[in-house]
Amino acid sequence: MSAPVTTTQPPSPPPPDPHPPRPAALDPTRLRLALRAAPRHPLAVAGLAALFALGVGMLLVLAAGAELATAWQALDEGMFGSPYAIGSSLNSAAVLALIAAGFTVAHRAGLVNVGGEGQLCAGGTAAAAVGLALPAGVPAALGVPLVLVAGFLAGAAWAGIAAWLRVRRGTSEVITTLLLNFIGIGLVSVAVHEEALLRQPVTSSETLPQSAPLPTGAQLPLIGGPESPATAVVPIAVLAVVVTGIVLRHTALGLRLRAVGHSPAASARLGLPVGRLEGGGLAVAGGLAGVAGAALVATAPYVLAEHFSSGYGFAGLVVGLLARGSLTAVAAASLLFGFLTSGGINLQLAAQVPASTVQIVQSVLVLSIAAAMLFTTRRPGSRR
Amino acid sequence: MTAALEVSGLAKSYGGTVALDGVDLVVEAGTVHCVLGENGAGKSTLCHAVAGSLTPDAGTLRLYGQPYAPRRPADALAAGVAMVHQHFSLVSTLTVGENLRLLRLPGLAARIARVRETYGLELEPDAVVGQLPVGVRQRVEIVKALLRDPRLLVLDEPTGVLGPAETDALLETCRRIADAGHAVVLVTHKLGEAVRAGDAATVLRGGRVAGDGTTKDLSARRLVPLMIGRAAGDLDATLAGAVGLEDPEAVGPDAPGPDGLDDPGVLGLDDPAAVGLDDPAVVGPDPVVPGEVVPAAGPVRADDARTPQGAALRLREVTVRRADGAYALEDATLDVAFGEIVGVAGVEGNGQSELTAVLGGSLTPERGRVELDGRELTRALPAARTRAGLGVVPEDRHHEGCVPALSVAENLHLGRLREFRRFGVFLDRAALGRATEAALAEHDVRASGPFAPMASLSGGNQQKVVLARELALDPLKCLVAAQPTRGLDIGAVAAVHARIRAAAGRGAGVLVVSAELDELLTLCDRVVVAYRGRLLGPVDPRAADARERIGALMVGVEGERGAASGVGVGAGA
Amino acid sequence: MALPLLLASSGELLSERAGVLNLSVEGMMLTGAFAGAVGADASGSAAVGVLTAVVAGLLFAALQALLSITLRADQIVTGITANALALGATTYGARLVFGDGAGAKTLPGLDPLAVPLLHEIPVLGPALFEQTLLGYLAFALALALALAFSRRRTAGLAVDAVGEDALSADRSGLPVTAIRYGTVLLTGVTSALAGAHLALSEVHAFSDNITGGIGYLAVVAVIAGRWRAWPTLLACLVFGLAQSLQFAAPALGLHLSAPLLVALPYVFALLAVSGLVGRSRAPSGLTVPFVRAS
Repeated sequence: MSAPVTTTQPPSPPPPDPHPPRPAALDPTRLRLALRAAPRHPLAVAGLAALFALGVGMLLVLAAGAELATAWQALDEGMFGSPYAIGSSLNSAAVLALIAAGFTVAHRAGLVNVGGEGQLCAGGTAAAAVGLALPAGVPAALGVPLVLVAGFLAGAAWAGIAAWLRVRRGTSEVITTLLLNFIGIGLVSVAVHEEALLRQPVTSSETLPQSAPLPTGAQLPLIGGPESPATAVVPIAVLAVVVTGIVLRHTALGLRLRAVGHSPAASARLGLPVGRLEGGGLAVAGGLAGVAGAALVATAPYVLAEHFSSGYGFAGLVVGLLARGSLTAVAAASLLFGFLTSGGINLQLAAQVPASTVQIVQSVLVLSIAAAMLFTTRRPGSRR
Repeated sequence: MTAALEVSGLAKSYGGTVALDGVDLVVEAGTVHCVLGENGAGKSTLCHAVAGSLTPDAGTLRLYGQPYAPRRPADALAAGVAMVHQHFSLVSTLTVGENLRLLRLPGLAARIARVRETYGLELEPDAVVGQLPVGVRQRVEIVKALLRDPRLLVLDEPTGVLGPAETDALLETCRRIADAGHAVVLVTHKLGEAVRAGDAATVLRGGRVAGDGTTKDLSARRLVPLMIGRAAGDLDATLAGAVGLEDPEAVGPDAPGPDGLDDPGVLGLDDPAAVGLDDPAVVGPDPVVPGEVVPAAGPVRADDARTPQGAALRLREVTVRRADGAYALEDATLDVAFGEIVGVAGVEGNGQSELTAVLGGSLTPERGRVELDGRELTRALPAARTRAGLGVVPEDRHHEGCVPALSVAENLHLGRLREFRRFGVFLDRAALGRATEAALAEHDVRASGPFAPMASLSGGNQQKVVLARELALDPLKCLVAAQPTRGLDIGAVAAVHARIRAAAGRGAGVLVVSAELDELLTLCDRVVVAYRGRLLGPVDPRAADARERIGALMVGVEGERGAASGVGVGAGA
Repeated sequence: MALPLLLASSGELLSERAGVLNLSVEGMMLTGAFAGAVGADASGSAAVGVLTAVVAGLLFAALQALLSITLRADQIVTGITANALALGATTYGARLVFGDGAGAKTLPGLDPLAVPLLHEIPVLGPALFEQTLLGYLAFALALALALAFSRRRTAGLAVDAVGEDALSADRSGLPVTAIRYGTVLLTGVTSALAGAHLALSEVHAFSDNITGGIGYLAVVAVIAGRWRAWPTLLACLVFGLAQSLQFAAPALGLHLSAPLLVALPYVFALLAVSGLVGRSRAPSGLTVPFVRAS
C-alpha cells in the first residue's frame, strides 16, 4: 500500500529519523502562536513542506554514502534526462491525475472515495477481458475506445457497490470503498491465476500468473515519438481534468453536486435528487479510476498481472486529498508525484541511493502538508 | 452576601466578530441571576467561558472569592460549576444511566435518589437518550448537572423546549438551589421568566452590559429598552410576545415575583371548566369557517385570489411512528383554507418536527393523506411539492433551510437552475446575480452582495432569504413555516411576520408551527395544539381565554376530549 | 497468523471506538517488526528486541496521534501515508543493518513453549498451546484489553462516549484528547508487539514488508466485528483460519483458489458493515477531529 515505487535497495548507512515526533502533549494554542508568523497561503505552506521533505531527502542521500550533486544529477536525469524519462513520468502523472480528478468529483458530492485502488483493479480486469476477447486484427480506433469504456464501466460499477450501500443503507463509503480495494486486488489475483479466467495458457511451471498480451488494436497508441513511452493516456487525463474542472465550476450540475456535498438535507428540501447525485459522483470517481486501470493494462507490457496497480490507487487518493478540490492542484501534484517516481528509479540506478528514499521523501511531503493544513484553512471555530 | 461569581472585563471575539466586549457581572450566592439579551448578545459565549468550554481573550473570573480560570469543562466541573447546555451534553447513543455514569461520581445511585427526592426529577435509566423526546432529554441534562451538587449552576436557555408547567417546575428548581445557598445563572431571552424567577438580572446587548440590577428595581419597562435598544412603547404586541413580555403594562415591580410561581393566571389550570373546550363556535363537529368566526380581526378576506371552496392544505389521519414504535404523529387531521393562517402550538417534541417533515417530503407517513388544493402529495418528492405550490420553511435553518457554505444567489435559486443556462450547458452567473439582487432588494435582505456566502449573513437575513425563496413559488398555494422566527432579533421577527401575513393576504394558506405561543396568538386565525402526536383544538386566538386554553391543551388537560373533536378540526371543508 | 492479527486489532478496536481510524496499524506493525529485529540483533536478546519494538511503536503512534488528533490532519491521508513512510524507512533501514540478504539473517528469536497436555489436543492444541512466551502474553493482553474496556466498565463507556460525541464527552468532564492519545498509543504498543511476534516468534528474521497487509486486515477485523470486542476476536480467528486454509487446502485435497481465500475476509467485512449480516453502526465520531470552541 505504498506510492508507486520499485523496491530494490543496495546497502546503505543508517537513516536519520525522517520525522522526529514532537511531544505528544504539545499545547495547540501555543503551537498556533508559534506558527502565527508562518505563511498561511496554501502554496507557501506546500513550498515549505517541499523544502522540509527535500532536506530529509538530502540527509537520506548523504546517509546512503552518495554525493548530493551526483544524486541530484541522477534524479534530474531520471525525470527530464531523456524522452524515455519524460514519457514514463507523464504516463504515471496521467494515471494519478485520472484517479485524483475522480476523487474530486465524489468529494464535491460530499463523499470520500478511498477505493481508487479497487476501482483501478476492476477497470484493469475488465479492460483485459475485453481486450483479449477482441479479434487480433481489430483497428485501434475501435479497440482502444472499447477497452477504455470497459474500464470506465467496470470501475463505475465497482464504486457503484459502495454508492448503493451508501444511498440505500447509509453505510459509510469510506469503509466500503476501503474494503472494496482489497476485494478488487483479490479479483485481479483470481483472474490471473485461473486459466478459466484470464490467465495465459500454462505451458510449463515457469508460466507467470498473468494474462496474455492484449492485441495491437487494444493497445494505447504512443504519442511521443519512437523513444518516448508516453501514450494516449496523457491527453485523456488532460481532457478528464479539464472537463471535470469546467463541469464542477461552470455548470448547474457542478453547483448541485456542491450543494449536496455541503448539505444533503437542504438539497433534498430544494428538490435535488440527492441519492442520484451522490451515487453518480462516486460512480464517476470509480469510472475514472477504472479508465486509469484500463490504461495501465493497455500500456507496455500490455498484460494484466498481480500488482499491476503498483499502489497507484492509493497514491491517486493522496493526490486528490492534498489537492482539496482544486483541479489545478490535482494537475500539479500528479506531475510532481509522477516525475519524482521516475526520478527515484534512476536515483537508485545511477547514484546507488535506495529508491525507497523517494518513497520516504514523498511520505514526509504528504504528512507535512497534511499537518500544516490546520494553519492554512480557516479554523472551524472562527465563525459563529 | 458573598459573591459566588465575579466576572470582570470578559472579552472574546471569533475571527472578526466580537461576541463579548468587556463584560462585568457579579452573581451573589443564594440568588438566581438572570442574564437577558437578544440572540447574538453574547449570552451563550458568557456561559461557555464560565463553564470552561472556551477560553476568553481577556478578563478574569473569581469563584467564591478565589481566582477561577477554567481551561476545559473538566476544570469547571472540578471547581463546582455545572452547566445545562442549550443543545445538551448527552451522548445520544448511550442510555440515560450510561450518560450519568460517565461523570464518574462516587455514590452515584445515592446522588440520583437525592436529586429525585429534592427536586422531584424522575429518570428512566435504561432509555437510550437519542430516542427520548426533547423535554425528557432536558430533564436528564438538568439531573446530570445537579448530581454534582454544584456551587454554581449555569443554565443556557433551558426553557425553549419546555411547556408552561415544566418551565414553572424548572424555575422552582432554580429557586431551591439558590435557597440552598448556591448560585444560579439563568440565561434567557424571555423577560417574563426573568422577572418571575430572578433575584437579579444583567442585560447584555452586542457583547456589552446594557444594564443590571435586582429584578425588584428593574421593571419590564426598563428592561425592554435595555435589551433591544429602543423604548418599550414602540413595541407592538407581536414584538412584545417575542421577548416573552405578555403584557408590558402589567409586568413591573408589583407583578408576581419569584413567589408568584403558583399564580393560577399563568397556567389557568386551577379551573378546568374555564378552559372552555366546549365552546361550539371553535371546537365542535361543525366545520368552522374562520372568516365567520373572526370577521373583524382577520387578514384581508375579500381577496380575489382566494378560493374559499377548497382547502389549500388538507391532512387526513397522518400517522408517523418513531424507530422505537411510539407514535410521533397519530391521526393528525387538519385543514388550512386559502388565505388563512393556522398555528400549531405545543411543547417541542410532540410531533411538530415530524409534521413539518411529512409536509416537506423528507418523511413518509405510515398512513394518512396529504393534499394540496385537492391534489394528493402524501408521497411526492420535494421537487413535486414545490412545483405544485407548497412552500416549506424548515425548522432548522442551517440543516435543512439553506446551505450555509453556498452563496445567497445559489441558495435562492438552487431548485431552479434550469432557468439560468447559457449555451445550454453553462451556468449563467450574471443572470443569477441580477435575479438575486432583485430579490434581495424586494425582501430587504442585508448582504454584501448576491454572491456573499449565506453563512456571512445574520440569522434574520438568512431567514429572509429562505422565506424569499419559498414565497417566490408561482403559484404559491400554501406556505408551511416551522419555527420561522427562532433565534431572530426583534426587527427580523417583525419582517418575517409581515411577509407571512402578506402571503396569506395574497390568498395562500399558511401553516405556522411555533414554540412561541405569543407569536401564534398574534399571527394566526386559528391555533391547534400538538400533544403526543395528535392535533387538538382548534382555539380561537382572539378569545379572551385563548392563552389558558392552549396552555391546558399543551399539557394534555382535556386531551381526550380535544382529540375526539380533533377530527372535526377544519375550515372551509 | 491469527495471533498478531488479534493483538493488533485489540488496540485498533479501542482507537476506533474512541473515534480515531488508525489506518497506520500496518506501519506500526512494520516498525515494531523492524525495531524488534534490530534490537534483538544488536543485543543478542529477543527480550531486548521486544522492548525496542514497543518503544518504536510508541514513537510511531505518537506521530500518528499528533497528526490526527492535535493537528486534526485527515486520518485517511495520514494513515495511508504513514504506512508508506514505514515501508520506505524500514526497507531503507534493513539494507543498512542487515545488508542485502536481509531475509537470510537469522535473529535471536523466541522459542515455543508447549503447555503440557493441552497442546496435544488435535488441531486446536498446536494452534493455541504451542506459542512463544510473547504469544501467550499477546493473547493475555488482548483479553485484558477486551475486559478492561468493556462497555460495562466506566473506562469502556468513556472511550465510547469520546468516539460517539466528543463535544458532549468533553462537557461531561472527560479528557477527550488524552483518551484519544491513549488509545492510539495503545494501538502502537499492541501493533508493535504483533510485528515483533512476526519477526521474532514466527520467522526469526526480518524481511521487507514482512507484515504484508496484516495491519490492514486488523482494521478490517474491527469493522467485521462491528466495533465490539468479542465479535472482533471471532473475526480475527476466522480470518486466521481462512489464511491457514490456503496452505492446508491442497493437503486436504480441496481445490480452493488461494487469492479467493485471501479476499474472503474483506468480503465478509463488507457484508458485515453493510448490515447484510446483522446490524452494524460505526462510532458517529469516527475520523471526526475534536474542536472544543464552536
